[in-house]
Amino acid sequence: MIDIRNVTKKYGPKTAVSNISLKVPAGQLFAFLGPNGAGKTTTIKMLCGLLFPTAGTVRVGGFDMTDQGDEARRLISYVPDQPYLYDKLTGREFLQFTCDLYRLPKAFAQDKMREVIELFHLDEFVDDLTERYSHGMRQRTVFAAALVHEPKLLIADEPTVGLDPKSIRELKVLLRKLADAGTTVFLSTHTLDIAEELADCIGIVDRGRLLGYGTLDDLRRQAAMDGSLEDLFLKITEAEPVAA
Amino acid sequence: MDLASTPTLELPAVVEPPERTADRQATLFRDLRFRIARNSLRTAWESGKVKLLSMLGTSLVVAAFVFGLSWYGIAELFAFKVPAKGLIVGGLFDLMFFTLGSMLLISTGIILYASLFTAPEARFLLCSPARADHVFASKFQGAAAFSSWAFLILGVPILVAYGIVAGVPWYFYPLIPLYLLGFVLVPGCLSAMAGLLFVRYAPRNRKQAVAVLILVAVSILTYWLVQFGMAARSTLLTPKKNEVEGLIGQFALVQHPAMPSHWMTNGLMAAARGELGNALTPLALLWSNGLMLYLGATLLAKRIYRKAYDRVAGGGSAKRIYKSSLLDRFMEWSVFYLDKPTRILVVKDFRTFRRDPTQWVLLAIFGGLLLLGASNFRQYYKNDLGVMDKYAVSLVNISATSVLMCAGLSRFIFPLISLEGRKFWILGLMPIRREQILYGKFFFAATISTVLAETLILVGDVLLGLPAGAIAVHAVTVALTAVGLSAINVGLGACLPNFRETDPSKIVVGFGGTMNMMIGLLYIVIAIGIAAVPMHVAGLTNALKNSGGNLPLWAYAGLPPAAMAAAIAVVLPLRAGIRALKSTEF
Repeated sequence: MIDIRNVTKKYGPKTAVSNISLKVPAGQLFAFLGPNGAGKTTTIKMLCGLLFPTAGTVRVGGFDMTDQGDEARRLISYVPDQPYLYDKLTGREFLQFTCDLYRLPKAFAQDKMREVIELFHLDEFVDDLTERYSHGMRQRTVFAAALVHEPKLLIADEPTVGLDPKSIRELKVLLRKLADAGTTVFLSTHTLDIAEELADCIGIVDRGRLLGYGTLDDLRRQAAMDGSLEDLFLKITEAEPVAA
Repeated sequence: MDLASTPTLELPAVVEPPERTADRQATLFRDLRFRIARNSLRTAWESGKVKLLSMLGTSLVVAAFVFGLSWYGIAELFAFKVPAKGLIVGGLFDLMFFTLGSMLLISTGIILYASLFTAPEARFLLCSPARADHVFASKFQGAAAFSSWAFLILGVPILVAYGIVAGVPWYFYPLIPLYLLGFVLVPGCLSAMAGLLFVRYAPRNRKQAVAVLILVAVSILTYWLVQFGMAARSTLLTPKKNEVEGLIGQFALVQHPAMPSHWMTNGLMAAARGELGNALTPLALLWSNGLMLYLGATLLAKRIYRKAYDRVAGGGSAKRIYKSSLLDRFMEWSVFYLDKPTRILVVKDFRTFRRDPTQWVLLAIFGGLLLLGASNFRQYYKNDLGVMDKYAVSLVNISATSVLMCAGLSRFIFPLISLEGRKFWILGLMPIRREQILYGKFFFAATISTVLAETLILVGDVLLGLPAGAIAVHAVTVALTAVGLSAINVGLGACLPNFRETDPSKIVVGFGGTMNMMIGLLYIVIAIGIAAVPMHVAGLTNALKNSGGNLPLWAYAGLPPAAMAAAIAVVLPLRAGIRALKSTEF
């Protein structure tokens, strides 16, 4: 589903992502971990076609994000760390806009809207303007919009920030279910226990480079140690010498 | 596995064929704008009818004021036997449309840049299947509408006033909105294309490139305005045919047949003369060129918008260490009379301002206008003006400087509280009283505006050779105007903040900004009317009686009530602002 090959991204003279290659097959839940400023969000933005690689190629569903971005984006849903909603639309109008943007058939869209409203418990506020929503309500609405068109790839950047424990639990169950049903989930997070609990495959990135990649056992082998993901993460990222 | 052989996934099923995507998205964005406008109007109506009605009322007052002024000016022109009257009206229209077009070029460009490259909505849409040209078109229409409302409010009353005075045929009036709407497209699209191309292809060190472009543009404009001012002055002093032609000659550029502003003038003047056929040709020219440019702009956006966005987002420069500069220290020194915490707030505002390149463009325009004012000084010195001229010119000077000050403060000071936006909690949690935040902004604005305005007025008055009493009255008037306007801008900025908006251009043209501008202009009329007009009447009376002695005591009678008016202008808005700020939750 995701095929990133030798991708480098430079911000002027600064290299944000350096020669990263990774593949995520369909139906896998991939956790992308790294310290602040490691290059996670830049990689995600290239996956969405918001940024273009300085070198290398990014393919989603077989579509090259540079040349066939419009086709690829129809397969993708992106939930950013700071979700965007139109303040002067209601939650329902926003969902409808999303359905129309993804050109869903009308009857199908109505069914899907009903489904996600129920799934994310939006009933109580879905007809209010989103400017009155709390952070948690906004996050749930954005997730509902992200899933309403049944994406093949769901990219979520720190999706649990601002959610209450119950919502986090529900979100974890949902992400796992989605992956099991065939949706590829690309999850960027700092919450290592979520990654440990959910991920099929984990990538650890630091200073723009992919330092670890594989299942938890693969990472243990790479780090030559047993232990929790937190231990592995710290060992892998701290072992990396600071570039001169 | 070879990349080229990677199988592509089947896209989700849709109702209509893919080739209809463009139509569908265009409709979708149109519906989105309609829904947002409808919901905004509804919430505005439900949450505060007064606000909505005040907004409407303010617009009507502005339009009525412009109409009254235009009607008077045009009626005077028609009443007196001014040579080449038709040429003058045509020249003035050319100049007006050219000036408004230039303003549209700048304002649409600034708003569009923010909407396309820095707004969270742009990021959201670019991550969706929305086509780049549709995102651009949607943002362009919003930016053009936002930047052109002032154009419509100013343009329509002037043209209606001309129509009434000149007794034009009925079809002149319905043609006005058609012409104005068609005209808006041209500068808007040119600005959009230039912006896209600049962002996509300009060298990496864009700041320097922008600075050079602005300097060149301001220099050309200043040179032309100086030439125009000299020609206008000659015409006023000796209104003969040669001088009038000399004045009209200054419009050579704006009267060029390829200028859309000239098409506007030609068409509307033809309609006024009753030549409907000749009126429709320029209209068709305007719309066809406008629409062609719009198509060109969307096509360009389709090709380069995403790449341009990538360039803006990825256009980091070498790591730069920001330090305190000499300018910051000068700013702190200039408000030495404040306590340390307030001085820190002043320097914070100044530093934020000087590090925002989008503010520089407007500052350059204001700088250009100030230079233009200063350039007149040499003319005063060279020309031996009569006493009446001196008083008239100095009154125009003080009025123009005050209006410029009002515009500058509205643009740069009024949005300051709004721009604190979601970061307001930082100030809210600081160990300072909240009124200090406002005092900081007030003293920052008052210091800069007083110093600049006093310099301009005093130098002008001295070169004009006004008596010491008149100069003193002007000095006090300008100080009262600067201080009062600063308080109005700071106070109303706190009373009518727009914490959701991050673009100062939009804050300024919103409800609060418009109210602020109107109140500011009203205050200028009051301050100058009370403080300076008695002195000017006394000076002119002296001139008429050829008694060149000192001004009578009543010439200064306006100063105490003007000081009272200034005190009210300072106390009321600041008090209301402090109250609003204290009750602000974060």
